[in-house]
Parts: sequence; structure tokens; C-alpha cells
Amino acid sequence: MILIHPFAKPLIKGGINPKNYPYWKELIGLIKEPIVQIGVEGEEQLVPDFRKNLSMPELRQLIKDCRVWIGVDSFFQHLAWSEGKPGIVLWSVSDPLIFGHPENHNLLVSRKHLAPNQFLWWDYTAFDENKFVKPAEVLKFL
Amino acid sequence: MSKVLCSIATRGRYHSTLPLVLQAVINQTWLPNKVIIFDDNDEPQDMRKEFIYQHLFQQMQAKGIEWEWLFADKKGQHHIHQKANEMGYDWVWRVDDDCIPEPTVLQSLYSHATQIENVGAVGGSIITGKPVNASKSTGHIENIDNEPNIQWDFIKGIREVMHLHCSFLYRAGVHDFNLGLSRVAHREETLFTYGLYLKGYKVLTAPHATSWHMKNPEGGIRAETKREMFDHDEQIFRNFLSYSGRPIVVLNCGLGDHIVFSKILPELDNPAVFTCYPEIIAGRSIAEAQHLFGDLDQWNIYKKMDQWKWTDSLENAYRKLYL
Repeated sequence: MILIHPFAKPLIKGGINPKNYPYWKELIGLIKEPIVQIGVEGEEQLVPDFRKNLSMPELRQLIKDCRVWIGVDSFFQHLAWSEGKPGIVLWSVSDPLIFGHPENHNLLVSRKHLAPNQFLWWDYTAFDENKFVKPAEVLKFL
Repeated sequence: MSKVLCSIATRGRYHSTLPLVLQAVINQTWLPNKVIIFDDNDEPQDMRKEFIYQHLFQQMQAKGIEWEWLFADKKGQHHIHQKANEMGYDWVWRVDDDCIPEPTVLQSLYSHATQIENVGAVGGSIITGKPVNASKSTGHIENIDNEPNIQWDFIKGIREVMHLHCSFLYRAGVHDFNLGLSRVAHREETLFTYGLYLKGYKVLTAPHATSWHMKNPEGGIRAETKREMFDHDEQIFRNFLSYSGRPIVVLNCGLGDHIVFSKILPELDNPAVFTCYPEIIAGRSIAEAQHLFGDLDQWNIYKKMDQWKWTDSLENAYRKLYL
């Protein structure tokens, strides 16, 4: 089973979080294994098995049970790191050298896309789908 | 050679002690790189063209001291000193606007700060009229109510203490002033230097560094008469003391940040923890921390990383802040 955590938390001002991966549907279409999506109420459902609002123990158990996980830069990559389970993180504007963990596959198109100030709310950074790796590239790390 | 900023916060003393302080800074045997006057007056005036100030600034230029006159936000001298703290200098010599340093003060403070390992702050004698006998004082924070401050007496040798009273040289950028204090900023020097001590830096009193505190009855902290401001600041000070040197951890940040910090937590000795996510790290609420300590920015990891122009990992940023 592959665990996916597709979305970072919503922006304060609304709009698309610039850390949210834009090609989930294409990526999911390429994966030939069962997928479990985790997230919270209100997020888009991408696969039939969408488990919402899980407790920390439930999340930790899923991390243990999955073969590998895929996520964006959000709390989940830190939780999986604390469980000692490496995965794939899809980066865009935040810096994996600051917020990532070297145990993971940190997929970043280019450091030139990183936001100049990494420590502001992400509301101030525009979403740009060209700043993310394409699904075929992600598949190589599965 | 380290860069030294002389920071002078002034309020209500344009025509009394401020020119005396500036002349005394110019007459130092070892000079700062720059002098900044932070004007915190209720009705600020441009003094730069007044005869006496023109003369003082000419002297600074002649002696190679940069100078700048900045108008402050009228929030109190702790806000001013925090600005100076973040300006990128190695050391800041903060001089009160009614405290006249003898010519050797900066030379003495700087030499002790740089020749002794791991110094956070060093201050000399601050004499108000005549010295107070502090020969039996310990300089320990727990004795603050029961002994005269060592700085109030003539200092004869180097001593390690836990806090300083006023007009000292400090290592810039390693600890914040508490911006939660009121405009009177009562106890701000004590809180700041005690904070340096708690972070493991040496806080020293040093000889050959006497300043004469005129204790001008007008201006400065004494321009405020509202008792509740002093009471508010005193309560914050007492709240800090009540933790008796235990490390205070305030996690006013995101869920993922808490998870990363959980790796650091076991390395802290008996910390007092305030947290947004008690399911990740047990602790008391952020609202309680706000109530106890006033301003929480000194623990804001994102503000700190921005201030440090941080490029290393979040985990190491927490190590820098807490260990």
C-alpha cells in the first residue's frame, strides 16, 4: 500500500497553497498499487480510500503499514521522519535543506524556484505548477 | 577586529545630559565604529543643526566614528535596544542618556569581553552621586531584593554575576530583549542579561569602567508615572524568576515544527514547556505563556531563522535557540 498526503494546510487568505502538488491525478493514474489518501475534511478526494481527520496514533500506524509514502512539504513528512519511515516529498518553493529530512527522496525541480524568504506565511508566494517535478519523474523513486 | 555599535536611547534630555554622554563617548580611549542616537521623545525635534550637536558630530567625523540619529517608535527603550541588537554588529555598548562614562570604559569592557571566553555581557561601575557598599553582594539573581547591585560600587576586579543593572557592553544577536514589557521597560536590563546568563554566556562586572549616573529626574524611564506599567513589568520579571533557571520552551509554531522539536526536547534539563499541540509535546498553553512572559517573539523559531538568515535545517535552528 502507498500512502499519500496530498495537501498542505490551507492559506490564511484562501487560494492555492504554493506547496500543493498539481499533478496528483496523473501520478495516481501511473501507480499500480493500492493507495490510501490521508487528509482532513474539505480536501479533494483523489482515491476511493480517503481517510479523514485521523488521530496521531492512527496516522503513525498507517505510516508503519505502508510500503512507501508520498507527500508535500507539510507536517506529515515530519511525522513520518519521526517514525523512521523514509518517503518521497514533492517540493516547489520551500527549501528541503531547511524543512526537509535527508532520509527522504526530496524531489525539487530547481533551487532557483525557492521563495526568497522561507520564513513568511506561504500566502505571499504565488502558486506555479511549473515548479514541481512531473509524475513520471516521481514514479522512478517508487 | 569586532564591530562595536554604541547605542543611546534618549527621551527628554536634549538639553541636559545627552550632550554630556555624547562628549564622553567621543573621548573614549577606544572608540566604537558607530554611534546611533535613538530619539524616543514624545515630541521629537531635529537637533542635528543645533550648535552643540553640530560640534559633537564634527568631532565624531574627525575621529572616524560613524553616527546616525534615528527617530524611535515611542514604545520604550527595550524596542530600541532590540533594534540595535539586530543591526549586525558583533557587540553593542548601550549607554544610558544620563550616564556619563569615564574615558576608559569601552576599552575596559571590550578587552574583557573579547579576551575572556564566552562573554555575553560586561558592565562597569555605575555611580549615582556616591558609591554604595556592595562588597558583600553576590550578583546572583535570587538575591536581587536583598543586596545592592555590584555595579553601584567601585568595581576592583572581574566578577561573574547573573545580571547587570545598566550601561553595559553585550554580544549582539544571541538573545532578545523582552518586547512584552511596557513603555517604561522596568527590569529590561536585568531580564536581558539574566537571559544571556541562562543561555550559558558569562555575565561580568569589570574594573576601570566607571560611569557617573546623573539620574536626571526628568526624561527617561522617569517620564512615565503610571504605576500599573511598573507593576506589569515587575510581574513579568517575577514570572521569569519563578522558573529558577529552568529552560523555558515556547512552541508557538506549527504541528510539523513540534514534531521536529520533539527530537531536541530530551536534551533539555527539566524544561518548562508551553505548546500549541500537547498531543505531540505535553505542556501548558501558549495563552498562559503570553500572560506570564509578555512577548513570545524571542521563542518564535521562524522570526529567529529570518533574523539569522538561516540556511541550515529546522532541527539545527532549534538547537541554536535552545541548546
